[in-house]
Amino acid sequence: MGVKPMQEGSCRRDFLKAGSLGFLGIHLSQFLRAAAATPAKGKAQSCILLWLEGGPSQVDTWDPKPNSAFKPISTNVPGIQISELLPNTAKRMDKLSIVRSMHTMGSDHPQGTHYAITGHEVNPAMHFPSLGSIISKEMGPRNGVPAHVLVPQWEKSRQYEEYFRSGFLGPEVDPMAIPDPSKDGFQVPDLSLPKSVSLPAVENRKAFLKVVDNHYRAAYEGVEHANMDGFTAQAWKMLLNPAVQNAFDLSKEPDKLKERYGKDAFGQSTLLARRLVESGTRFVTAAGFHSNSWDTHAKNDEGHRDRLCPVLDRTLPALLDDLEARGLLESTVVLAMGEFGRTPFVNPDLGRDHWPTCWSLALGGGGIKGGRVVGSSDETGARITSRAISMGDVFATIYKAFGIDWTKEYDTPIGRPIKIANSLEDTTGEPIAELS
Amino acid sequence: MKWMLPIFLTVAAFGADPPPVSIRVEPKEASLRGSGASQQLLVIGTYADGGERDLTGETVWKLSDPVLAAMEPGGRLVARTNGAVIATAAAAGRTAVATLHIQAVEAVREFQFSRDIGGILTQKGCNGSGCHGTVKGRGGFKLSPGGRTPKDDYEWIVKGGGYQVLTAEVKGPRTPRIDGKEPPKSLILQKATGSIAHGGGRRFAIGSAEYQAILQWVAAGAPYGPEEGRENRVTALEVFPRVVTLERNQEHRLLITARFADGRTEDFSGQALCAVNDQSVATVSGCTVKAGRLGETSVLVRAAGLAASATVGVIGPPLAAYSDPPRSNFIDGFVFDKLRRLRIPPSSLSSDQEFLRRICLDLTGTLPPPERTRQFLASDDPAKRGNLIETLMSTPEFVDYWTYRFDDLFRVGVFPNGINVKWSQMYAEWVRDSIASNKPYDQMARERIAAQGYDGPTRHYLPYDVIGPAGETMAEEMRVFFGRRLDCAQCHNHPYEAWSQDQFWGLAAFFGRVSKMGDTGAEYVVFDHPTNEAMGNGDVNGSIKLFHPRTKAELKPALLDGTVLQGSDRENPRKALADWMVKHPYFAEAAVNRMWSNFFGRGLVDPVDDFRSTNPSTHPELLDRLAADFREHGHDLRHLIRTIVSSRTYQLTGRPLEGNRDDRTNYSHAMPRALDAEVILDAIGTVTGVPETFTTGVADTPKATGQAPAGTRAIALRQPDLFYSRFLDIYGRPNRLTLPERSGKANLNEALHMLAGAAYQDKLAAPEGILRRLWNEGRTNDEVIEQFYLAAYSRFPEMAESKAIRDLIASNGNREEALRDFVWALLCSREFSENH
Repeated sequence: MGVKPMQEGSCRRDFLKAGSLGFLGIHLSQFLRAAAATPAKGKAQSCILLWLEGGPSQVDTWDPKPNSAFKPISTNVPGIQISELLPNTAKRMDKLSIVRSMHTMGSDHPQGTHYAITGHEVNPAMHFPSLGSIISKEMGPRNGVPAHVLVPQWEKSRQYEEYFRSGFLGPEVDPMAIPDPSKDGFQVPDLSLPKSVSLPAVENRKAFLKVVDNHYRAAYEGVEHANMDGFTAQAWKMLLNPAVQNAFDLSKEPDKLKERYGKDAFGQSTLLARRLVESGTRFVTAAGFHSNSWDTHAKNDEGHRDRLCPVLDRTLPALLDDLEARGLLESTVVLAMGEFGRTPFVNPDLGRDHWPTCWSLALGGGGIKGGRVVGSSDETGARITSRAISMGDVFATIYKAFGIDWTKEYDTPIGRPIKIANSLEDTTGEPIAELS
Repeated sequence: MKWMLPIFLTVAAFGADPPPVSIRVEPKEASLRGSGASQQLLVIGTYADGGERDLTGETVWKLSDPVLAAMEPGGRLVARTNGAVIATAAAAGRTAVATLHIQAVEAVREFQFSRDIGGILTQKGCNGSGCHGTVKGRGGFKLSPGGRTPKDDYEWIVKGGGYQVLTAEVKGPRTPRIDGKEPPKSLILQKATGSIAHGGGRRFAIGSAEYQAILQWVAAGAPYGPEEGRENRVTALEVFPRVVTLERNQEHRLLITARFADGRTEDFSGQALCAVNDQSVATVSGCTVKAGRLGETSVLVRAAGLAASATVGVIGPPLAAYSDPPRSNFIDGFVFDKLRRLRIPPSSLSSDQEFLRRICLDLTGTLPPPERTRQFLASDDPAKRGNLIETLMSTPEFVDYWTYRFDDLFRVGVFPNGINVKWSQMYAEWVRDSIASNKPYDQMARERIAAQGYDGPTRHYLPYDVIGPAGETMAEEMRVFFGRRLDCAQCHNHPYEAWSQDQFWGLAAFFGRVSKMGDTGAEYVVFDHPTNEAMGNGDVNGSIKLFHPRTKAELKPALLDGTVLQGSDRENPRKALADWMVKHPYFAEAAVNRMWSNFFGRGLVDPVDDFRSTNPSTHPELLDRLAADFREHGHDLRHLIRTIVSSRTYQLTGRPLEGNRDDRTNYSHAMPRALDAEVILDAIGTVTGVPETFTTGVADTPKATGQAPAGTRAIALRQPDLFYSRFLDIYGRPNRLTLPERSGKANLNEALHMLAGAAYQDKLAAPEGILRRLWNEGRTNDEVIEQFYLAAYSRFPEMAESKAIRDLIASNGNREEALRDFVWALLCSREFSENH
């Protein structure tokens, strides 16, 4: 007979309802959405984001121009040319499409990263969920493996990792951030029992825990107890589930394949991403290019030629081939992008600086059509000349591939509606028609 | 749902009501002005148990002079002739009176757009925050939420408009919502009546009173009426009662009173929109609330562009023997009175062991050592709790812990920003000195808000090696010191609160001239740059002006009420702001609310920095009194802490009673709170005897690696972002890049870390640990069990617990492993991981 507590957060949300269409029993945005297309069941089950941290130069990769030091080459799709720095990728152009007219916000790395991965500009009053968290939430976990993984985590700074997290959606859809799998002795922390703990010891520990916690739990009621119990049960399951151990166990991959992906951080992270996706993970960010690798403020051409494109052009084709060979390409979206492009002009250090105005990305798989080019830029890759595409449009395209309603909005704890595919000027993104 | 059945039974058995002790009329006295003026009267019965009930529905009225006024059914008195009339109410065998002064019945009130048209839009929900009242409106039609800015609404309706967040200019064609030539074809009428497709459905019928009012207004040429002035501008909305307690199925009318700028009041019950948050607890029809299931919810009231709220508690039948606990200080008075009204029994006083662990964690973030626990539990000194509070407040751990709490709030950190670590250390030292010397909180606030030069608090003006944007800095000061979130108003008028974009930028202008000088690339002098003078500063070329993002007008520093405070160009404008802020009622109320949440896991207003008229306090009078007490005692934080922890409310047990199990907001029993990341890591170190070693690692500068001095505790890490810690990150240490919010919510990573993580496993296995020491000393199982119970739980094990543990140890062939498993279990238990 006590007074039932007000549900946390219900106050504001309900107030919105009460203040608007309370008596109709529906939220206005839902009402307006009813008219929107209910997407068909999608082919995509998972997504791999190849995170090209620092921002690749569009004219030296997907959108070759005369102001690049590198020549365009033909691809296996008639009419599509990309930079000569990506010859292996060019042979698989039918599997990937290129958007050459990306227009985004944020001209420095933190702001650009936040925008690219959430579709929103940084706002001190708000923690926005990342694309991976939204997909994990909408699709839910599969096969008992973590739904959302980020590999490798940034070793020191937590600022970037924060952007890839769940924002106001809550810890269930935070990415599990794990270390660099290309390093010797790679092990996912907390995912396997310590050697000192034998399997029988697990039962002993559970028995002890029951005894020592019984007294307290009988007398007190913690709101979070049931949640924690749920997580603990899930954690035991994961620790004792060979499938989970297996999903993260890169040593099971043949050395030859490891070499095809590349034994660097990017290659091995991408290989692990494929392994995870195969096991049921929904969204993996393969972020092997840490420390703003693609941020070529100096010696842009050398960087792209010697250090960056060869790595991308080894790993990306390996991933496409591997996914296809396993029949996973039809169900796995592959998205390769950085946080912005680079200036069409070269600075005195022979570098190119940040350029969110017009840049390129590549995507395919999971039912998203390959072998297409969306949008175009002017003769130097500086401005969009046709079909401006926003981050929200890219998100909507991917959501549609999954069968997720891209017009969905989430209510924040203070009742502000947030679009999951947020386009420019606060409009809702549209799936790119040519690709779906 | 388990409580449903007994309640039906008791309600059935309840039957005959005892008569009220007294009845009264609300309002007792009122003035009615103008033609057709009316006043809703409520008759309230007070009962022996302190409860109140709305008896208006069963009241028989008698007027001293029926010529002066008429009484409508339901208790609404309508004025007829000037004079004073006494209304006598008879209900439940008792009588009470009210006096109504009727004036100026000959005066016809002039049409006023905000009231006569705006009122309809509010009552019909058109301008709600989910419909046309959203930031950008709906369907191309935008209204201010709740009709807050009638001028804008008038413009939209009569001329049409277009809304861009970042500019006041209207692009594209305008569509008027009225049709002067053919008034019935006005869009506003056709949409609202559903005559043409309307996303919001039909709001009123053709021919209804609302329809007629709007139609006539359009036909009359759609006037705006007189400008808002003292006599017709509503400045506050009051709801009576603020707290309504109802038994199941009972009803209660709400009295909504508008207060005008000239001090006059008027009954607005007939023109307000009332909405209940949780419709399972109560429903509302007009201004009458009807009880549903047991629980507590709030009613939000909108009228005249303003919002107010009342709390509704639906309570069970009277408790046969309601025992009033003793009261230690004024806090208990407010809390226990409300509990009694809600018929929720408070739990008993905490046991000594419960109190000891709770107070040590709450005041020092540290578990009591086993010897101390033994002493305290053995002592029979009746003053031992008070003495312990004083002792703890004089420990170095108290300073460490509260420094860490305020470090969080003030965002002390290094961040990847290229600023010299020394400056951040100065900021950390400033916080620590302030706590150690018990600096008055208003002084702390002043020092931070008005900081200039190169000292500790100036550090927070630089999120990285540039001065932070004025708007963001201002919004943060408001959130920290006023407990208000103005952030939304940076881009648009706040959707649920009366914060306008103009207010936001007026306040932001106080920070508009904050500037830095110095070219070391790491250390700067922070000052307020003169507007019209070059100072030889590379960053500022004499044009340090701030402009309104929409209107593009140059901004002048202005307080919330619009008062412009522009001193000389060489003055620090933030000094005046700081003076105003610390004297403002918001300041003390935000401070005490935040402090309260440290001890109860929630604020009286919760979240602690989200004061809004639509987010009411659970105990408004207590909040007022705590704030007054804080001010009267010179903003003394230690006095405030002492007052809170000395209350019986704080010292109640966490064991719920059958009758208060579901209570989460009324403090009938202590609520378990998850230990903060730093506190639990320290506690694991203390219990195992293996403190954590912290290694530095600043973002992206792998060169800077080192160690914190041995034995440094997590709560004493002054710039935590210097120290990488997987444990702290998993357990929710905030990164302080924005105002920290610790969720304390369970998550999978935490569970995984507990079962398999290094903090648990390595410490258990460490050779220097306490378990190993006790093992080497050849202690018996009982001794080991008792020692660890005291260390982890601050209590002795129960007989049954000891036995069960002994049995488990015996059943394991490996005693050492079994003991380790036992200690592991203690550290993973909820009793250990929570403060209770």
